[in-house]
Amino acid sequence: MSSVTVRRRTPGAYALLVSLIVLALVMLLPFVIIAVNAFKTPAEYSAHGPLSLPKGLYLQGLKDFWQRVDFGGKLVNSVIISGSVAVLAVILSVLNAYALGIGRIRGRVSIMVVLLLANTMPQEVLVYPLYFVSKKVGLYDTRISVIIIFTAIQSAFGTYLLSSVLSSFPREILEAARMDGAGRLRILWRIVVPISRPTLGVLFVLFFIWTWNEFFLPLIFLISNENQTVPVALGVLQGQRLMDATMTSSSALLGIIPAIVFFLIFQRTLTRGITVGSAN
Amino acid sequence: MTQTLSAPPRTATRKPIVRRRDGISYAVYLVPSGVLFVGIILVPFLMNIGFSLTTWDGIGKPRWIGLQNYTKLFSDGDFWASFEHNIALVIAMAIIPAAIGLVLAAALFDVIGKRFGPRTASILRACIYLPQVLPFAVAGIVWAWMLAPDNGALNETLKKIGLGSLREDWLGDPKIALYTVMGVMIWVQIGFPLIVFMAGLQRVDPSLYEAAEIDGASWWRRFWYITIPQIRPELYVVLLICTVAAIKTFDKIYILTKGGPGGATRVPAYLSWQNFFEKTQVGYGAAIATVLTLITVVLTVVFLRRQDRLERADA
Amino acid sequence: MFKTGKTLAALTAGLLALSACGSGGSTSSPKELKLWHYEGPDSAMGVAWNQAIKEFEQTHPGVKVKFEEKGFEQIQKTAPMVLNSKDAPDILEYNKGNATTGLLAKQGLLTDISAEVTKRGWDKQLSPNIAETAKYDAKGVMGGDKWYGVPNYAEYLQVFYNKKLFDKYGVKVPTTFEEFTAAMDAFAKKGVTPMANGGAEYPAQQYLYQLALSKADRPWVDRFERYTGKVDFHDPAWTYAATTFADWVKKGYIAKSSVSTKAEDAGTSFISGKYPMFFSGSWWYGRFEKEIKTFDWDTFLWPGTKMTLGSSGNLWVVPKGSGNKQLAYDFIAITMKKDIQNLLANNGGVPVAADPNGVTDPKNKKLIENYQTLVSNDGLGFYPDWPAPGYYDVLVAGTQKLMNGTAAPNQVLDSFAKPYEENLSTIGH
Repeated sequence: MSSVTVRRRTPGAYALLVSLIVLALVMLLPFVIIAVNAFKTPAEYSAHGPLSLPKGLYLQGLKDFWQRVDFGGKLVNSVIISGSVAVLAVILSVLNAYALGIGRIRGRVSIMVVLLLANTMPQEVLVYPLYFVSKKVGLYDTRISVIIIFTAIQSAFGTYLLSSVLSSFPREILEAARMDGAGRLRILWRIVVPISRPTLGVLFVLFFIWTWNEFFLPLIFLISNENQTVPVALGVLQGQRLMDATMTSSSALLGIIPAIVFFLIFQRTLTRGITVGSAN
Repeated sequence: MTQTLSAPPRTATRKPIVRRRDGISYAVYLVPSGVLFVGIILVPFLMNIGFSLTTWDGIGKPRWIGLQNYTKLFSDGDFWASFEHNIALVIAMAIIPAAIGLVLAAALFDVIGKRFGPRTASILRACIYLPQVLPFAVAGIVWAWMLAPDNGALNETLKKIGLGSLREDWLGDPKIALYTVMGVMIWVQIGFPLIVFMAGLQRVDPSLYEAAEIDGASWWRRFWYITIPQIRPELYVVLLICTVAAIKTFDKIYILTKGGPGGATRVPAYLSWQNFFEKTQVGYGAAIATVLTLITVVLTVVFLRRQDRLERADA
Repeated sequence: MFKTGKTLAALTAGLLALSACGSGGSTSSPKELKLWHYEGPDSAMGVAWNQAIKEFEQTHPGVKVKFEEKGFEQIQKTAPMVLNSKDAPDILEYNKGNATTGLLAKQGLLTDISAEVTKRGWDKQLSPNIAETAKYDAKGVMGGDKWYGVPNYAEYLQVFYNKKLFDKYGVKVPTTFEEFTAAMDAFAKKGVTPMANGGAEYPAQQYLYQLALSKADRPWVDRFERYTGKVDFHDPAWTYAATTFADWVKKGYIAKSSVSTKAEDAGTSFISGKYPMFFSGSWWYGRFEKEIKTFDWDTFLWPGTKMTLGSSGNLWVVPKGSGNKQLAYDFIAITMKKDIQNLLANNGGVPVAADPNGVTDPKNKKLIENYQTLVSNDGLGFYPDWPAPGYYDVLVAGTQKLMNGTAAPNQVLDSFAKPYEENLSTIGH
């Protein structure tokens, strides 16, 4: 059987495609409902419920909300914070994983367990200690404080994923590079990083989007409106006893567009990997 | 052929090339993170253990009370009883998403990507990943609309397609609510393993698949003998991280059900949060957080040990 | 191959530089009043306070009000931390109650404004019933001796009803409790669930507490809310409340399917004309006025009771670290003036010191009259979730069990008693 025949679009392959499309649509259904409510007037939503179709495109609410919370400013803050965290946490993850996954230094399991404290402990643990520390060093209510905190948290996951992947890294390649006289840093930069590009891409995307959606710690550490991120700004729509469902829908859609665009741009890096074979 | 499949060629011969001397100097690469971690994670964690031995409302001076918070916690029946719900959440947030994610990743990579083009695969992946991008505060509102008993989308659809008898009060019936929550969690979670696994598959040497295809190995055999072993590192990571997340989670559940009806979906992690921020009993909250951390750390140690042993066995 | 690296480095440098600028601490200068609240700009309070800010700037030339609208949750979660830092505002809106203003007062984060209250005569403008939630004792329990805040508005619960549905089913608007149950029964018999409810949130517990209040008196409320005596959760009032509530669900006065629904669902289903009645708070009033277009609606107080749920609204509080306390008091004084109070009333709020003659809309007038009836009867019974932090969740869980029938009224009352007693033991620690 030649490889050409294997890759034919068999009925089975079509069946798979169709079922995956159906799955994708099911996954998207909530987004459709959000979109439907995003453009309703509040009265329409209240009178006909969330599942009715809008009669027209109502955008005034969104415009008002944009100005009310200075949404443009929040977008800038979110981009700065998420972008910085994604870049810094990927760099730290690479450095750590190089030591743990390739170097396989002694005590790596213990080191990993300690690093993973960032994931294993509940986030509320960080609140009071970091509040006192950030106040002391003058970083309370600054975007930098949030960048530093999330760089630490995200890079724990990055270190774990990357060092797990790197521990199956083909040793022959490293040996060959060393034979050519390459130093350790050079091996990291010219061999390990390029070969792990798909994983680095995934980390970059995940870090950006996770940080983008973080609500709780930014809520605590970004007090001034001028420092706040998109999810914190959406919080003003959820009152003590009332909420604004239509505006929440439209502003949420608006708030995730940058994250989706980011994902769509960077998802190419997830597939454009250099395989071990071609790097040889 | 089976020989080639069960033993990927590049792992065939491998000698350890890392010597002791290297081990020390590799540690240099940990320094930047080390400094950050001590400041941001380790010190707060130790401070939290300190708080857990006090009674404190977050302001002013904590008052030392020794282990009282812990004795109170160990006799708190509600706390330990609600751990049962965590098993359901581990299934819904770690095991099922990892399993589905694995099959989806293999299907998208190996079948769709190769026969219908990588663009089709990318679009499908993006759609399935999308729930991860949506803040759950908003997703939760929408799910409540869809699951509403009287005119929710799900019950209405069931009625329209003649399955009216299957209608339920999805979040209101104590016998069903936990399963409903599980379903929503799977929806949220699937995208994460999927993109991690798909990135992992990029590392796989295409010649492995080609060789298997030429030998006429079925899709299922390729999945089992190539895909899974090749992305085993990712599989470990996803399982551990998602399990830890499932044990810690409460926010999504509280957005959906507030732990109800009547405590049917209550989870222990909420208790820590509630004591920190609602009851401002930071000392007791810290004790709960410490216990939760210990549980997940033990799990992590067991898991990482096993993973490390298998990695060494491979090498 | 190095290209990615350089781009990344440049990106990091750029982003960090951006994040560093413009994040300097905002110290409050004497020429700036830093003011926070969390009411939407279209709400009665939002409109009135916006006007108050304008008037303040007119009467204080050279002083600028730096207003920031906050999210409710952010203030709830972070107030103690913010007030304990140099980023504290000069004046802010904060929730009344032991777990909120009471706690901050106890922690020494709020200014005791008693002297200012007497000096400016606010104590005379506020009825004792309303003032109770503005005054706290050294343990942070409300009804104390020191003023820590000033409320501009009040809130209370009443029955909103859909006139069209009453006409359609030929049901008479009730004036006594017997007529009230008869009306519910008439609707239920015709297959219409009479009362809108949200079992996952506050509406259910408010029905329950109202039933208890209808068999209670002021000392009962004081014992429960202010710990002035022992509370018996199996007394006639609580027992009546729990059994009647469960009974109403069984009879279909309250839909069993509302067990998982939220307050928002209850409100919108009333707006859409699905339910004839909704017993809830005056906070819905403005929204109902704006959004109900297909039927006439009106309100009546819960029949056959002296007491109903209600209290002052949220408070203006002045942080200990406020750099502009006098300006903050001046601002509060403006919000208590007749014109601002009337503006609040005309936008569907319940002002604490309005002049009914200045209120034009007849419905708004009735809103205020009902309130004044309650206050003159000393009839505001507060809310059931106040006595203990986290009690809201306990009440939600209990009422859900009553609705689902998974626990008997007696068991549910036991589940209310335990956390209540636990909280009592921590008060004053």
